[in-house]
Amino acid sequence: MELIDLGATVHSEGVFEDFLHQICERFELEHAAYAGVNPVSQTIHGFVTYPDAWKRHYTEQGLDRLDPTLHCAARSIAPVDWSRLAGQPNFDRVFRDAGDFGIGRLGLTIPVRGPFGDIGMLSVSGNGRPEQWHKRVAEVISDLQSVAVHIHDTVMRSEDLSRLLRHPQLSKRELEILQWTAAGKTQHDIGEILSISHRTVEVHLKSSRDKLYALTTSQAVARAIALRLIYPI
Amino acid sequence: MIVVIDSLNRHEFPELLDEMFRLRARVFGGRLGWEVEVTDGREIDAFDALDPLYVIGLDEEGHVISCARALQTTGPHMLADVFSAILHGEPPLRSANLWESTRFCVDTERLTLGRGSVKGTVSHATCELMIGSLEYLRSCGITDIVTVIDPVMDRVLKRSENAPYGYVGETTPMGKVPAMAALLDTGEERVERVRAFAGIAGSVFADQVALGRLRLREEVLAAVRRMEGAPQAVADLVDYIDGQLRAATTDGEREAVRRLALGLSATGGVQAAWRATRQALAGAA
Repeated sequence: MELIDLGATVHSEGVFEDFLHQICERFELEHAAYAGVNPVSQTIHGFVTYPDAWKRHYTEQGLDRLDPTLHCAARSIAPVDWSRLAGQPNFDRVFRDAGDFGIGRLGLTIPVRGPFGDIGMLSVSGNGRPEQWHKRVAEVISDLQSVAVHIHDTVMRSEDLSRLLRHPQLSKRELEILQWTAAGKTQHDIGEILSISHRTVEVHLKSSRDKLYALTTSQAVARAIALRLIYPI
Repeated sequence: MIVVIDSLNRHEFPELLDEMFRLRARVFGGRLGWEVEVTDGREIDAFDALDPLYVIGLDEEGHVISCARALQTTGPHMLADVFSAILHGEPPLRSANLWESTRFCVDTERLTLGRGSVKGTVSHATCELMIGSLEYLRSCGITDIVTVIDPVMDRVLKRSENAPYGYVGETTPMGKVPAMAALLDTGEERVERVRAFAGIAGSVFADQVALGRLRLREEVLAAVRRMEGAPQAVADLVDYIDGQLRAATTDGEREAVRRLALGLSATGGVQAAWRATRQALAGAA
């Protein structure tokens, strides 16, 4: 299943929640939540797949002020498995309540740092045995990093001011590689043409995708053409 | 042995971090002659305030012998700012799966003093740190690393079966030394090659027992540092207690040092503590 390409979507009501639901389905997760802070506009964004009753309880009880999955993870650069937070103050308070709403303690928060002091967090949770959970996380964590940055960038860009600041800045090398990709060349071909390793080609393509708010290389090529960064062939 | 310190556990390891900043000052400010700011014998820059992730190598006595620092490329990092000259005005790579590694260094002075063991060599320490960095970053979902290094480090990487698969930008003088940005993947094959080269099998990370000992040391030294007295006298007492801890070979001995230190700190002043220590030593003799 293809994830919604948030980079292309006109941001209508519910599109970020839909994206989170798709993340859960694709990576076999129970719940997903995104929270982001934009210091430019001083706004906070939040989207979750949690049941309404838990959302209400969470807000009414002011758990957002206590929740260590937000406050500890916000300062980390590495993904934070919730088991590392077990000793934190308020962990038990928040997760005792969460348990009443059927939300378990197996989870992971992936922090994202953006270029303008913006911070986002994608939290995902699961159920089952801890060993299974950790195995599952190891399998999908690199994809989760990628979708975390995707949702963060697109949420931040949903504000007019931030969109202006976030005009994609690609290097000559990235554009050159995208141009050859548009011409139908494989990573291997491009490596030969430019006398660089195919892995160097790949890391530049990954970077171009993230800069163009694209999940796939073909989306990135299309967007680069639309932005007149490269020529259609 | 490798310890990973980040925003979640850095409050537990102030001594280790301090030792790391002093190592960085000796290496980058001293031996390598990089243009870094050293204050009070410590090299700390603006990026250390961003809660980066540190991978730190310790020798068998618990001394910091190597370190590296990781930052996300999606946010502020050195290539985007301080080392941008390497990229000649081009924007840096930015990817969710790419982290930047900087301030990679090894304590060649301590290691070449040499105690003869294979584990005490520069090469072993370098490889252990590289294995720890690659494996930990992979566990974070990071597939690639961009690292700012000098040509000497580049040769070390190539020699230890850990050659970069590519470079970005160009080798550019930064102060007295040329610097370059190299690309490495965190794949298992690469780690296996480095392990085979260095003869390192099994986990390189500190286990719970080792972490427990490190925490005990932090607790003990923190208690001594809180004592009142002339700074030099406090520092001397810290060194003395630390020496006792390093010399301890059993948990019982370590616990004895802990009781001694906490007891001394309860006496309040360093002067009184030294008196008590001398009396205890005289009594023992």
